Amino acid sequence: MRTPYDAIIIGGGHNGLTCAAYLARAGRRVLVLERRECVGGAAVSEQVFPGFTFSVFSYVVSLLRPEIIRDLDLPRHGLHILPLESTLTPLPNGDYLAQWDDHDQNRHELARHSLRDAEAYDEFGRLMHQMSRAVKPLLGLIPPDPASLNPRDWFELARLGSHLRGLGATRFHALHKLLTMSSADYLDEWFETEALKATKSASGIIGTLAGPRSPGTAYVLLHHYMGEIDGVFRAWGFAKGGNGSVSGAIAGAARSFGAEIRTGAAVAHVLLDRGRAAGVVLEGGEEIRAKRVVSGADPRRTFLELVGADHLPAEFAQALERFRFRGASGKVNLALGELPSFTCLPGNGPHLRGAISISPSVDYLERAFDEAKYGEFSTRPYLDIVIPSAIDPGMAPPGKHVMSIFVQYAPYHLNGGWTDARREAFGDAVIDTLAQYAPNLKSAILHRQVITPADIERTVGLTEGSIFQGELTLQQMFWLRPVPGWAKYRTPIRRLYQCGAGTHPGGGVMGASGRNAALAMLEDGA
Amino acid sequence: MLKTTPFHGRTAPLCASHAWRRWAGYVVASSYELTHEREYHAIRSAAALFDISPLHKYRVRGRDAARLLDRVVTRDVARAALGQVLYTPWCDAAGKVLDDGTVARLDETSFRMTAAEPGLRWLQDNALGLAVAIEDVSESTAALALQGPASRAILQQLTDTDLADLKYFRITAARLREFWVTISRTGYTGDLGYEIWVEARHAEAVWDALATGGAPYGITPAGMLALDVARIEAGLMLIDVDYVPARKALLEAQTSSPFELDLAWTVNLAKEQFVGKRALVREAQRAPQWQFVGLEIDWDALERLYAEAGLAPQLPGVAWRTSTPAYADGKQVGYATSGCWSPLLKKYIALAHLRSPWAAPGTLLELEVTIEHRRRRAAARVVKKPFFNPERKRA
Amino acid sequence: MSAVVIGVGVNELVAAHYLARVGQRVLVLDHGSVTDETATGWIPPRVVRNLELERAGLVIQSHDPWVAAALPDGGRLELWHDMGRSVEAIRRLSPRDAEKWPEFCTRMAQLAGVLEALYTAPPPDPLTRAWRDFARLAAIGFGIRRHGRRGVEDLLRVLPMPVADLLDDWFECDALKGVLGAAGIMHARHGPRASGTAFRLLHEHVGNPAGVFRQPRSNVGRVLQGLPGVEIRRGAEIARITVREERVAGVVLADGNEIPALVVVSGLDPRRTLTELVDPGWLDPAFARTVRNIRCRGVVARVALTLEREPGFSTLVVAPSLDYLERAADDAKYGRISAAPYLEARSDRSRGGGGHCVDVHAQYAPYALAGGGWNDTCRAALGRAVVECLAQHAPAIAAATVEQSVHSPRDLEQVYGYPEGQAHHAELALDQAFWMRPVPDLAQYATPIRGLYLCGMATHPGAGVNGASGANAARAIARDLARRRNA
Repeated sequence: MRTPYDAIIIGGGHNGLTCAAYLARAGRRVLVLERRECVGGAAVSEQVFPGFTFSVFSYVVSLLRPEIIRDLDLPRHGLHILPLESTLTPLPNGDYLAQWDDHDQNRHELARHSLRDAEAYDEFGRLMHQMSRAVKPLLGLIPPDPASLNPRDWFELARLGSHLRGLGATRFHALHKLLTMSSADYLDEWFETEALKATKSASGIIGTLAGPRSPGTAYVLLHHYMGEIDGVFRAWGFAKGGNGSVSGAIAGAARSFGAEIRTGAAVAHVLLDRGRAAGVVLEGGEEIRAKRVVSGADPRRTFLELVGADHLPAEFAQALERFRFRGASGKVNLALGELPSFTCLPGNGPHLRGAISISPSVDYLERAFDEAKYGEFSTRPYLDIVIPSAIDPGMAPPGKHVMSIFVQYAPYHLNGGWTDARREAFGDAVIDTLAQYAPNLKSAILHRQVITPADIERTVGLTEGSIFQGELTLQQMFWLRPVPGWAKYRTPIRRLYQCGAGTHPGGGVMGASGRNAALAMLEDGA
Repeated sequence: MLKTTPFHGRTAPLCASHAWRRWAGYVVASSYELTHEREYHAIRSAAALFDISPLHKYRVRGRDAARLLDRVVTRDVARAALGQVLYTPWCDAAGKVLDDGTVARLDETSFRMTAAEPGLRWLQDNALGLAVAIEDVSESTAALALQGPASRAILQQLTDTDLADLKYFRITAARLREFWVTISRTGYTGDLGYEIWVEARHAEAVWDALATGGAPYGITPAGMLALDVARIEAGLMLIDVDYVPARKALLEAQTSSPFELDLAWTVNLAKEQFVGKRALVREAQRAPQWQFVGLEIDWDALERLYAEAGLAPQLPGVAWRTSTPAYADGKQVGYATSGCWSPLLKKYIALAHLRSPWAAPGTLLELEVTIEHRRRRAAARVVKKPFFNPERKRA
Repeated sequence: MSAVVIGVGVNELVAAHYLARVGQRVLVLDHGSVTDETATGWIPPRVVRNLELERAGLVIQSHDPWVAAALPDGGRLELWHDMGRSVEAIRRLSPRDAEKWPEFCTRMAQLAGVLEALYTAPPPDPLTRAWRDFARLAAIGFGIRRHGRRGVEDLLRVLPMPVADLLDDWFECDALKGVLGAAGIMHARHGPRASGTAFRLLHEHVGNPAGVFRQPRSNVGRVLQGLPGVEIRRGAEIARITVREERVAGVVLADGNEIPALVVVSGLDPRRTLTELVDPGWLDPAFARTVRNIRCRGVVARVALTLEREPGFSTLVVAPSLDYLERAADDAKYGRISAAPYLEARSDRSRGGGGHCVDVHAQYAPYALAGGGWNDTCRAALGRAVVECLAQHAPAIAAATVEQSVHSPRDLEQVYGYPEGQAHHAELALDQAFWMRPVPDLAQYATPIRGLYLCGMATHPGAGVNGASGANAARAIARDLARRRNA
């Protein structure tokens, strides 16, 4: 019999693949098991309609850790990140607000709306840039546990404390505010232009059942500034070939280090041997043994389905029950016969190569949230749109286009539940909303794919369709993610680890959870 | 898109070099001709005409206008005479320079402020509790600088206002041909010169008047490259090049106080209150750590270094702006931030920040030069600024 | 005069008496704003002891039941100081919740104990380099750890939580969650689903026995005013605070009189103190901007009803569920008065000549109404809505109300000097609490103007803790004065 694997990774999402790549790179024999026929989890590119390729779920790259790109040499495995140049916010009055990469152009545009804001914008950008630098070290950190009595945790906490104190008063207090304030309140201190505040605060609500006025959303403002692409701060990007090529590149790197990847291999449960993880059992009954098992699935799926509550300490299981998912986002993917033409900026232009944000005012977003709070999808939702084919023509047949529309809010817990009819009604609401600003949209649509949180759960296995594998709120962050005391990628089951976004630092196509988990395993002697 | 100034209709056809650059979000000519040399010499021997419209301009009016400006800048605005123009820096609460520009007293309760950086928000924030109206007139006001020995004669034939009465750093309203303008005797060249402020809609007509009237005197449209050489000769610092405005600094060490920029003369500590006073009072009690000085690079030393490489000295034709280390006794004691070959003085000069012990005029230093891909050090001497200071400037 | 204190509120008077005790000649200026004579809030025992308030006649009125929540079916959920009685009351609605009540109360009391330790001293400064502050921070840390792992977990997890999530974790009964959730949003602009509202629930709990989540009332204001040792000047309207050479010089009254002082302590809100009474030219404009950014959005109207006869309750809360509260907050987001407001009524026999008085806290009634300001029509409509709503649960109200007066947030601003009608002067939220209250540069009671201090509700720990801000401020002042003497 062959020696068993050093590690089995459950789930071939980008975090699982990253974890596998790091383990394989360290010389371990690893096997990745992916339930679907393609790897990538929620970072996949699929030809949903012939000739039209979509980043079906996640759609931009912003937070992919640069050290992962370097360590795994991802560009060699096909990763090519194209810049997203701008953000356009069309307004109901026929005007628009655009944010451009070029400083002068951006300043002129903002000055058109408010001279004060144009000035504040630079100062704000500099503070956010500094704050991103302050926060960045926390992302790659295995979070120390303040409740522990272990001297090592104390040492790590002291180090963390001295990092935070080293920021100086201004930045320390700014960090405190970013962590505790709502993005709308935070932006109110800086800006007066509604559309600017709304568009910026929208980044704080993505993936979370929270509105721009909900405290705790300000922190996510940093994410826009943290997107280091090729070492350049402040840039969002779009992966050539769609987000599947991110997963593809990581998988390629993993394979090049010797990792095995099996698709179409759904894990039924984790095999336990005297309370320790010893391998997995596939749905077909096949048993695969390994010295360690690491799960990229979200915490609820991992522990309550693949392990089973009976095998877990009662307090741990209870804490998992409290872990909140509450998926709030949907996706509409369109195959278009022609580019949309916006009333505010008709025809083709550079604005179509950036993001388009339907977020005319903070109240607009807040109203969208109100509906979701009480279990309805937003009839006038927040939309974050990109047209990948305008940046990467290979995504669609010549002259035709693909459009990716990220939609909020679509609550998982919809009153009466999600049905086919409700899904289509939701899709109609999205199209109607966008068509208000781009009248040719409806006639340009060749095909449409509507994805609800229920669909996300069913297709990629994210509980409640939560795109971050659990809400990224303060009470579920850092050393509390997913469960206090078990935030270091280890679990109460010995030799079972977690590497999904349900662990620190969580969401976004970041890869940090996968990398941190691999480092934790190697530290344990894997 | 970038903006064009109100003179673009005139400057664009003249720009044979197609050498444009950005200035505060506008496009302006680097040089009109293929090289900037003639444009430079026009400043010193005839008259050069610059489009300086991209400057930020603010109109401050109201009962408390002087009080507001006094809160903001380091000089004493309340005591400025009618028609006086003050060159002044302004600071943040830590006493670090945010920007520098001019404040012109147009009448008892009305001022025009020019700035290199947008400053409306800062003015507004300082205006808390004051009866004052602040207006950004950057776009509605076009501006030209007419600089050089012939500038007075050119301007005088176009206006009835007697310019002989207009002293250095004074401003007056005047009718230039049929257009109302304000004329200030100010500039960025260290030469005799004027700046003309006009409503944007009359900009081209005023340009035409000057161009026609100035032709017999050799008036020459000039671009930023010529200006850069002239301002270094005049020892005038440039924001973003010679100092980092405090708001853009990423480190405290990047910021400078007025004392460190050789602007002690602009800081009036007797004023009751102004932003940064507390910090500047403290700093005035110590000696500043840094000083901003002129450097002259020793030609013989330079020639020797080039000779060692088998070359004759080759100097860049335009002013440079790369930070260049300066050494004394083998260790770095400062850095030069801009420099050029002065075509008039026939000297290689630079503006430099030096630690105070090495900043006294006459101190011998070494400045890094790169010759044939190698870094060498050429002897240099600290000298008094300005390098060039003609009598006509103030006369 | 060595010290001038502006305001005759509880914090101002406590500060004045503490300063008098360290040998300062103190003048208290009653600047004309009305102060609430019955103060709501816990008084730190040390303040009671130091100022011997009990001997001076301090009476704390703690209702029992401390709360009576109106139930949709007409009944009431009454919660008592006695744990057993509360359990019985809850059991009628949910046996499961009744089971959990005692543990919930113990856990919350532990957390409130941590806050209590934090509240009775100036806020810790996490950036401190002073050994003493460091030791204090460590002591607080150990204090939490004393309750084991769970103590730390609870504290760090609960503080930033929405009170709705916290209560959903524990309970199923809407009425119970509603009445507890209301404590998390009292005077807050946010609804119970907002992060940080669990902290506010604890704030309401501090100083009270386990299982009591409302602050008591007391006559502390009146008692302090009668206490000898400081001079109080009535009707002294303040025109400005004078500053010379960046140091406070005194106070100028509206009648032109100038009172020179070494130290000026203001109980007014920071915005008024620093950007209106002081010439803002003395401030760093960037700092002045942060002061103007202090959030103080009032959302509460106070409705006073005079009744011919007993209303039939001593306290009555209308907050039937978390969703009810959330919907009430939704209205306020868009500048509307809640269609179905959260009400908290207390009847007070001691006031009003002969009749019965009912004080109603009506939330949300935003300071800034969309589509026009507050006028008599709005006020009357709100008054009617409040009476109708209460009458559903206490029918006596409708028939017996002979008089109603409505104080909108705008009125509260005018009468009591609440900025934007916000009774807490600065909203109590995690970004404006502890070392951030009201802004970091003011958290230690001193201002950038030497000799000028704040002691009002906008400072740590703020409203709901009577006298703590005043006592903390006085300590900071005494320390500075000692330092100056030694220098």
